[in-house]
Amino acid sequence: MAGPIAGLGYYEKSARTSFGVFSSVLKARFRIVSRYKGALLMELFMPIVFAALPILLGVSIASGGVDVGQNWKDTTGTADFKAYMLIGSSTFMVVMLMTWLVGFWLRREMVSGTLESVWVSPAKKYLIIGGVTGYALIRAFVAFVLSFVLGSFVFGINLFQGNMLMAAMFILVGLLPLWGISFMFGALILRIKEADSIINLLQWVLSFFMGVFFPITVLPGFLRLIAQSFPPTWMTNGVRAALLDVSFFFETWYLDLAMILVFAAVFPLMGYGIFIATERRMKKTQGMGMY
Amino acid sequence: MAQAIIKVENLSKTFISKERKKFLRPKKRTIEALKDVDLTIYDGEIFGLLGPNGAGKTTLIKCLTTLLIPSGGAAWVNGFDLLKEENMVRASLGCMLMGERGLYWKLTGRENLDYFGALYHVPKEKRVERITYLKELLKMGEFIDRTVETYSSGQKMIMAFAKSLINNAPILFLDEPTVTMDVHAARDLRRIVKQLNKEGHTIVYTTHQMYEAEELCDRVAIIDKGEIIALGTPTELKKSLNVKDAIELEGAIPKGVVQIIKEMPGVIEAAIKEEKRGTTTLGIMCENSRIILPKLMEVLLENEVQIEYIKPMDATLEDVFIVKTGRALSVDTAELAKEKDRGAGGLD
Repeated sequence: MAGPIAGLGYYEKSARTSFGVFSSVLKARFRIVSRYKGALLMELFMPIVFAALPILLGVSIASGGVDVGQNWKDTTGTADFKAYMLIGSSTFMVVMLMTWLVGFWLRREMVSGTLESVWVSPAKKYLIIGGVTGYALIRAFVAFVLSFVLGSFVFGINLFQGNMLMAAMFILVGLLPLWGISFMFGALILRIKEADSIINLLQWVLSFFMGVFFPITVLPGFLRLIAQSFPPTWMTNGVRAALLDVSFFFETWYLDLAMILVFAAVFPLMGYGIFIATERRMKKTQGMGMY
Repeated sequence: MAQAIIKVENLSKTFISKERKKFLRPKKRTIEALKDVDLTIYDGEIFGLLGPNGAGKTTLIKCLTTLLIPSGGAAWVNGFDLLKEENMVRASLGCMLMGERGLYWKLTGRENLDYFGALYHVPKEKRVERITYLKELLKMGEFIDRTVETYSSGQKMIMAFAKSLINNAPILFLDEPTVTMDVHAARDLRRIVKQLNKEGHTIVYTTHQMYEAEELCDRVAIIDKGEIIALGTPTELKKSLNVKDAIELEGAIPKGVVQIIKEMPGVIEAAIKEEKRGTTTLGIMCENSRIILPKLMEVLLENEVQIEYIKPMDATLEDVFIVKTGRALSVDTAELAKEKDRGAGGLD
């Protein structure tokens, strides 16, 4: 590489300025969302409303004389179906936030015209998307904790049951493969230039395979296999197993956690590879600014 | 002799476009947006890229700013290979490509500048210093601390211009920077562009305003249908016409008259420059206006042209475009704008 003919202005590539890219993107996302306060408030209530439907259904069936708790325990390992549902809907929200936020970010940048401004900068794409997914990750984790606490209060669930530290570990490690999934989702948005229809479809597919409201053991063999190849299913089950009397998939927590770590090693690399390949394709065909 | 800071060799770009007709399968069509373009821009010059929308100007800029990968050819920017050293090419550029659309409306101007400065790996302390300098230079005043959504169009353009300067890049790509500015703001911006150029920045400037190009640019390239059809200093280009005189005529001109004028002996080229509310402005390039004027008046009266004014003019860059293409740049651009208004290229 020959040196620049006319210098590079104020461009100074270093670990500090690279971290500056990541942190500036992250801060900018928080700044922007802080100017839409209503959206943040709604996010807290979403998993509670989402969990309320099956919980209320269960309560109404129970009031008909059937021992819902016992039936539920036979299938899942825990009688606390309310906590089961709330954990399911809260982890589901984490998954959706991670994918939605990245997808909507790309789509909004495309439409508003800022995507080209960002793409024309020398910042590495993994730092930019890292900043966005980092923001999504923090927002999703905080929303999980807050909505779980609020939901426990609303539905009368004992907040301090099970191993909370282990549950937090399953969420934090489980967020890593989600990072990769969000890259893949971003690539899909770049390719088809639409976010709403994918999200509408994906949220039902995801909730089904994650076992948001039911244990995936009730699924037929091949569907269970698909569900278990999806990292959030392991995260959801890990949190439930840590807090309730639900079994780990491999019977021991460390093997389940190891499995998520394998996903965490593979999915981000795979997702980033797919994203970069899609970006290159876009630049060969119509450019990044087309929407 | 200054060094070549941008060098383009045989650069081409083809797009596959799909033509949709009701329920039929879309028909694929290959569009050659750039056809083997060769171009050298020297360190420290203000280089104008002129051409109507759709001529390939934007495609060339997008290729040179790494937003598009060319289909063929090679290019070097600031000594870096466009395809192999993309990031260093980007580090060499300050870009104002999307006008006011390249900003975050929910962030303040200062926050926008800080954000984009970070994306250009400008250290925090330099960003703070640079923002203070740009606030002064562009007379941004208190609006720098308001969210962009509250800005007027002119203020948004100034902020977009400031954004392109945040990294103090050696090369600036300015795509129609004065388009929504009022006369005073546009004049100020041109003054700053000249100042930046004096400080050593190379500037690639696109515009539809011929007087801007004539006022600012050391050299200009006129692009049409993916090819550079003229390249040189504004004076060289005007001289190359071998046109001694140009005549501008405004009035109600019936259809077919332009063709009759074109066929008159002594007329080199004639084209409509502007059409507004039934009034047409016509540019006529000729060998000698004194000889041709009486004959021209005869033709105009015979064809019932209602003349509002007729006057001899000095040849302009617009006339260069007319002679080279047989069309006027301003009309081409206005027609494309109308097409856009009819829905093409709008939000889905």
